[in-house]
Amino acid sequence: MIVTTDLTKKYGDFTALNNLNLNIKQGEIYCLLGANGAGKSTTINLLLNFIQPSSGTALINNIDVTKQPLETKKYLAYIPENLMLYPTLSALENLDYFSGIAGKVLTKSEMEVFLQEAGLQQDAFNKKIKAFSKGMRQKVGIAIALAKDAKLLLLDEPTSGLDPKASNEFGMLLKKLKQKGVAILMATHDIFRAKEIATHIGIMRHGVIQHQFVADQLSLSELEKHYLETMNY
Amino acid sequence: MIRKTIIKELKEIFRDGRFQFSALLVLLLITVAVAIGINQYKNTNEQYKASQSTERNIWDNQGEKNPHSAAHFGNYVFKPKNALALLDQGVDKYEGVSIFLEAHSRNEAQYSAAGDQTGLSRFGELTPEFILLFVMPLLIIIIGYNSFTKEKEGGTDVLLKSQGISNLKLTIAKLIAVYIPVFIICGILFLVAGIILSFLKDYGAFNWARLFSLYVVYLLYYLVFTQIVLLISAITKRSGISLVSALSFWIISCFIAPKTASNIAELNYPYPTKQTFLSQLNQAKKGGLNGHNPWSKESKALEAKLLKEHNVSHVSELPFNFSGYIMQKGEEHEAEVYFKEYSKLKQQFSNQANTYKALAFISPFLPARFLSMGIAGTDYESHMAFAEAAEAYRIKTQKFLNDNNMNNSKYGERGYRADADFWKTLPNFTYTPVGLSTVINHQKTNMFLLIFWVILSAILLFTSTKKI
Repeated sequence: MIVTTDLTKKYGDFTALNNLNLNIKQGEIYCLLGANGAGKSTTINLLLNFIQPSSGTALINNIDVTKQPLETKKYLAYIPENLMLYPTLSALENLDYFSGIAGKVLTKSEMEVFLQEAGLQQDAFNKKIKAFSKGMRQKVGIAIALAKDAKLLLLDEPTSGLDPKASNEFGMLLKKLKQKGVAILMATHDIFRAKEIATHIGIMRHGVIQHQFVADQLSLSELEKHYLETMNY
Repeated sequence: MIRKTIIKELKEIFRDGRFQFSALLVLLLITVAVAIGINQYKNTNEQYKASQSTERNIWDNQGEKNPHSAAHFGNYVFKPKNALALLDQGVDKYEGVSIFLEAHSRNEAQYSAAGDQTGLSRFGELTPEFILLFVMPLLIIIIGYNSFTKEKEGGTDVLLKSQGISNLKLTIAKLIAVYIPVFIICGILFLVAGIILSFLKDYGAFNWARLFSLYVVYLLYYLVFTQIVLLISAITKRSGISLVSALSFWIISCFIAPKTASNIAELNYPYPTKQTFLSQLNQAKKGGLNGHNPWSKESKALEAKLLKEHNVSHVSELPFNFSGYIMQKGEEHEAEVYFKEYSKLKQQFSNQANTYKALAFISPFLPARFLSMGIAGTDYESHMAFAEAAEAYRIKTQKFLNDNNMNNSKYGERGYRADADFWKTLPNFTYTPVGLSTVINHQKTNMFLLIFWVILSAILLFTSTKKI
């Protein structure tokens, strides 16, 4: 679903991403670990065509993201680290609008199911977003992604701001989506969560994936050791 | 996608306190302005009716009198108030409402409303056209200045883009959403004005087609503003900058450009001062026939020609009264002089009008302003049409009186008096303002300029939002 070939992004002399080659298939959850500025968000922004690559290509569902950016958006859902919604609209109205522009026509009860599944408390459905905490907004974002029924998810630290319980529920949700054959690319700092849900894990530094593992072939402590070693280079 | 976005934008707009406040204010201002306008309109109309019948009564009952004395006694004609002046007063306030018609001279219209008001009235009044032309664009700015910047500042653009919205559809939806409140407020205003006007008695020249044309002009004007406000919102990064830029555009196009244009027009094509104009007139009149001076060179020449034509040796042998004849000929000469001199003024006016048209590229306000006045029948051209109709009536009246003298009295007869009933046979002055199709034909260039602005701003908006 996601294929990148020698994907590179340079800002002047600084190389944010260097010859990235990724291949994430249906039913796989690929977790990108790395410190701030390692190139995780750059990767996701390139896949969303928010920024233009300096060289290399990125394909989503075999479609080049720079050539048909609108077409590729049909297949993906995106949850940014700090998800922003329309403050004067309620959770339901935001969900209705964002899934509406993605071409989904949902009934009110369908939308409520999605919000519930995303873990938002019932009494917040009709409240305006401006009264929401970051975590609550994040849950609406998850509901929007669920409602889109996308073939792949791009998640940029989606659990930041979620309490441990919500974070855990989100992990369960991702596992469920994996079962349905959704391909997921998640940038995260949370080694524990990554180990728990990922099928593949990449440790990134200086715009390069330094180590890549199949998640169930190593233990959490081994992963942590590798991570720290990579960071202390 | 477009429908969803329009609904969402409208929800945001209507929930915005700034919009609620300013829309309420605009509605309040409009109500007050229309109420004042209706009152004024009623008053003026009553005065018009009363003056017209009183004046005619005075004329009809002047008793036995020499026709030329009656010509000097004179009569008044009154300018009817145009129904759509309720929405756009145009230059009405500064133009006189009645013209005194007398022998030998063409008089200016007198008794302008502005003449009766204090100097404060120069700073403008709360009139519907003030709201339509100045305040509504401000409302558009308040609604639309953050249309795009709020997405950037609020961070919602990220999610929008990832959901795969096309910029074109997003822009169309935002354009429609910002336009709808203005469309509705303006629509209510015109509908209410139309209903009021068609229920008012003696509403004169009102018709719905004219009102509708006026509505269309304003809709086009607002479309230009909406597109430009959105364009600014799309190319700026912050709402504050967008607001300031949009306000600057408003100030330049609605205040600075019209003043500059009128300065340039006045500089290049100045009107003569009243003194110069009058002395030119007198000079031109002197050089020709004067009905009161039968001994002048011109009178003698005319006399000789007339004697030869009728093959008689003295004017007393003519089949009509030579005094009446020469009076009429003198009148015709003077009318011609007036026509010539006023044509020069008219030429200067049209030169100025062309200057405004040439400068319309700096401001969509200019063509909208002229179209609005033109369609409402309150522009200077409409006033000129009235003055010309009055002059034509004056010329006819003079002929009517001179002919009576010429045919009913003898040469040298002193103390001839026309019957007391004679005055009633003078036809009434009737004036029908120019029709809508003529107005639109006259205003072709302004119409074209306004549409040019619509297209230009649309192109700018849609090309600049391709990448946002």
